[in-house]
Amino acid sequence: MSTLKNIAFTQKKSISLLFASSIITGAMIILQAYFFVAVIDGVFLQGMSFSDVLPMLGGLLMTLLARTILTYISGREGVQMAAKAKAYFRKTLLSKFSGNPVQNSLQGQSGQKVSVMMDAVDEIDSYFSQYLPQVIQTAFIPLLILVVAFTQHVNTGIILIITAPFIPLFMIIIGMQTKKKSEEQLDKLASFSGKFLDTLQGLTTLKLFSRAKQQKEAIKKSSLGFRDATMEILKVAFTSSFMLELISMLSIGIIALELAIQLIIYKSISFFTAFFILVLVPEFYTSLKELGSSFHNSRSSMGAANKVAEELEETEQIIPWGNKTLSENSPPAISLQGVAYSYGEDQFSLSNIDTVIPPYDQIAIVGQTGSGKSTLLHLISGLITPSEGKIVINDTNLMTDYQEQDWFNHLSYISQHPYIFSGSIAENIAIGGKTDASRTSIERAAAKAGIAEMIHSLENGYDTQVGEAGRGLSGGEKQRVAIARAFLKKPSIILFDEPTTGLDLYTEKILQDSINELSQNSTVITVAHRLHTIKNADKILFLENGRLISQGTHKELIESVAAYRDMVTIQQGGTSK
Amino acid sequence: MRDLTLVVKLMMIEKKDILYSIIFGFVAGIAAVGLFAASGYLISKAALAPPLYALIILTSTVKLLGFTKAISRYAERYFSHRATFTILSNLRVSFFEKLEPLAPGIFQKYRSGDLLSRIVGDVESLQNFFLRVFYPPIVLVIVFLCTILFTSFVSIYIAIVLLIGLLLTAFVVPALFAVRQAKIDSHVREGRGNLTTEVTEFLHGFRDLKIYQKLHEKEENLLQSSDAYIKEQERENINTLYSQSMNTFVALFISWLVLALGAYLVVDGQLDGIFLAMLIMISLTVFEDASPMAVFPIHIQDSKQAATRLFSVVDWESKNKVKQDYKEQLQQSNPHSIEMTNVSFSFPEETRPTLEEIYLKLPACSKTAIVGPSGSGKSTLLQLLLKISPANQGDIYLDDVAINQINQEEIWKNAKVVLQENHFFFGTIRSNLRLAKDGLTDTEMEATLATVMLDHFSLEDKVNEKGENLSGGEKQRLAIARAMLKEGHLWLLDEPTSSVDAITEQSIYENLFEQAKNDTLVLISHRLTNLENMDQIIVMEHGAIIESGTFNELMQQKGYLYKMKQIEKELL
Repeated sequence: MSTLKNIAFTQKKSISLLFASSIITGAMIILQAYFFVAVIDGVFLQGMSFSDVLPMLGGLLMTLLARTILTYISGREGVQMAAKAKAYFRKTLLSKFSGNPVQNSLQGQSGQKVSVMMDAVDEIDSYFSQYLPQVIQTAFIPLLILVVAFTQHVNTGIILIITAPFIPLFMIIIGMQTKKKSEEQLDKLASFSGKFLDTLQGLTTLKLFSRAKQQKEAIKKSSLGFRDATMEILKVAFTSSFMLELISMLSIGIIALELAIQLIIYKSISFFTAFFILVLVPEFYTSLKELGSSFHNSRSSMGAANKVAEELEETEQIIPWGNKTLSENSPPAISLQGVAYSYGEDQFSLSNIDTVIPPYDQIAIVGQTGSGKSTLLHLISGLITPSEGKIVINDTNLMTDYQEQDWFNHLSYISQHPYIFSGSIAENIAIGGKTDASRTSIERAAAKAGIAEMIHSLENGYDTQVGEAGRGLSGGEKQRVAIARAFLKKPSIILFDEPTTGLDLYTEKILQDSINELSQNSTVITVAHRLHTIKNADKILFLENGRLISQGTHKELIESVAAYRDMVTIQQGGTSK
Repeated sequence: MRDLTLVVKLMMIEKKDILYSIIFGFVAGIAAVGLFAASGYLISKAALAPPLYALIILTSTVKLLGFTKAISRYAERYFSHRATFTILSNLRVSFFEKLEPLAPGIFQKYRSGDLLSRIVGDVESLQNFFLRVFYPPIVLVIVFLCTILFTSFVSIYIAIVLLIGLLLTAFVVPALFAVRQAKIDSHVREGRGNLTTEVTEFLHGFRDLKIYQKLHEKEENLLQSSDAYIKEQERENINTLYSQSMNTFVALFISWLVLALGAYLVVDGQLDGIFLAMLIMISLTVFEDASPMAVFPIHIQDSKQAATRLFSVVDWESKNKVKQDYKEQLQQSNPHSIEMTNVSFSFPEETRPTLEEIYLKLPACSKTAIVGPSGSGKSTLLQLLLKISPANQGDIYLDDVAINQINQEEIWKNAKVVLQENHFFFGTIRSNLRLAKDGLTDTEMEATLATVMLDHFSLEDKVNEKGENLSGGEKQRLAIARAMLKEGHLWLLDEPTSSVDAITEQSIYENLFEQAKNDTLVLISHRLTNLENMDQIIVMEHGAIIESGTFNELMQQKGYLYKMKQIEKELL
């Protein structure tokens, strides 16, 4: 809530414009009433000729025009402020996300972040484009009218002051009641509102159990139940506007009565004054009512802003990086010294990882689900930074001394679900290359990754568009695209997340051959799920609950580590009973 | 437009509430006009020092009109909202009626998961159709016409001015707006689409973008898309604002014209000066409700889009899509045999066939496993058996009857099915199990829970929507329990235990095979366990059967299954 206000007030020029336009609008409303009344008074009682009132009519037309233009200007200002605020929020969110998103995607929250970036930011719009201009407008108009009323006829001013507080008072009372009512109905609303979706989603199940026809009644019942529960809440809201209308009407009535008495019995005021006041007074109450309802309407924006603020509050880690280059073409020596990483208090953490990875070695990271294998791979890749300890590459600290670009130039990461960007297959492979890759080199990389044949079978070959999130490619094909990227890039370090489930025989063979070939020129660090990979590894890092229990070759670990032995044999026992 | 007509038809069921909404809306509107007219007249009258009784009558009229207005407004809101929600209920029910016969086949056609939430959203957004599109213009026009009629008794010229005002504010300005809006609207949606793609790619593809150093480029693109989208939104909002301001000004200008013309007529002696204030008040009041008409086209557009999308899902007009009724029945008390000859199938938008030239023969009472990597067509095969999708080519027989001669319902009645995704409804374990069969006792259900190792659940335990509070393994076991409780002698199980640990799986299978002893059973699995006791194993890859036989036969052949088994052995 305060975030939105703060942002609004950073746009000082716009805010002052809104204030100025609000004051002038107020003046225009008063002027408009004045001209209307003056013309009527002129021809009705003062016996003016038409040409006498012409200047006033002209003035009135100008006033009306000015009022409309002012409303338009302040509205447009609001819209422009909203545009700026939305751009600002997206930009801030973006830089926040790029500081921290690997963890997010690890925690599977990408979908939620997309909705914050799109919908929550969009919802903020109405705060600036509607709520703010309206609040500023309605805040001044009653004040101005009050001042005019006092100058014209003190009694009216007094009545206005006495009756006005009843409007916010009633709004507060009724607002509280609505809240109470909606809390009472919350359970009902929740259970009714989801029923339709629930039934549609379960339609297949319902039909397989021959139950679909009976659901018609259930949908009707829940829809009507939802209606009744909602009406309970709405009734309170309607009563509220009813009461507000009564209050303002009663107040206007009192003012009118007082005016009439003054006009007829005491003859202490003129028709002009009485009519003038009577035209202005409804505007006074309307503004107050609108102020109240706009508070109500701003709630969704506030909620959205809170969502955005929550995202922005999350701590980010900026990896400093340095200036050193990593120019040699042979793989560097990697060493992890007391590396630890935590996702936050009471959450999963990885601790005390000490190991050395010599050039050209094949490393297998092994452990149960949730033991921290992917986190370790992310740490080595430099995507996240250790909370303790350091990662040393050729005797130099990775994240503080090397250039980011240089490091990533040496690295390929083949995940279980490589991301396929919207674009052609060729473009997706070329993303691996350092510069613009030629079509021939792309085709060569594809052939090595065993995907060339599949691409040729497609109608558009390498120019086939693969849509958002790479739709149209199977999991095995995506991994082969990622491997093609690696062949194009010729990295000296390859990080590979082996698939957890069995692919088809062909893909399995391709994966194995390709990784073998890639490993000729590089260090390969694999999160391993295949015994074959593990047995051939130069070193196995065995993780359990975020700790590096032991490291060594398969043979060494089988002999010396009970937990490792258990894991390997139980898994085997489970499959070949 | 055709789609909106359908919505109107459904709406008309609630005639009474609609009528009440219009009547009370009219009373409220006309009372407001009367209220201000009377007070304008009152003040003018007062200036002429009238007898007190005249003033008293007038003041009480004003009071009365005020109350009438407030009460009618309340009633209008009450009835119009009640009507809206009832209409939504009717919409849901009749939509469901149309969708129900098409399921589950229709879910094949629309493979995107958000289809259903879109349907729900579209139904919801149609609530604006009655509330903002349908009845307010009717009320507006009636109030206007009555006001104009009344005014014509005082001055025909002024009545004509009001009529022109009505035409301008309610029709001309909104129509002009609609034309410009239509163009902008498509840009906004395009902008949103682009930005969503960029954001999704940025977040989901972050790791790859970072390592391939395309992150910065992507950020730039994203911000550009965001700016373009915001720019279009800004244009849209300013256009709306412009039309609203335009309409407000037209309305104010008409009131000005009333004043100018009135003043002229008064001076000219054609109009009694006492009416002038009244006429102005009438004009100002009656146009207050007309200004919002400027954005009326937005609501029409939204409703139209929602309706069109909604009805594009089901073909609304073909009332009963000549649903053929097949006479053939399946023997309910016996296990069934299955045969497929030369069956092929491909999904409409895909070039590669999902199933190609499938021949298989499963005798009654036999136990068959279908194995193969994901995407090899196993699940599709099952769907063809269940007649959820029709084969493009070839014949499928159940008990030697071609399934295109049997009703879907007839097959489902006899099948005990566990799919990969099984739906659980908001409710309790009991209410979800009860779907299986009428008249199930708690003891029966509890016993079945025990056979799938779910005896730690009580029947009272709550189940959230889609079974969100259950783990993957629990859902699968509950689905097996539900299938066990159901009638039928044909078990069709699609990876029923993929999220269940090996030991629990083992004991569930023991119970399951015991129950299915005298039934036909087809088990799809991508795990290669529990194959030894199967009568037949069918191995699939790329939509084709590449080998079949008993476990021992296939192992001795050292073919595909053998190699897959080797790989699986290696998996940790």
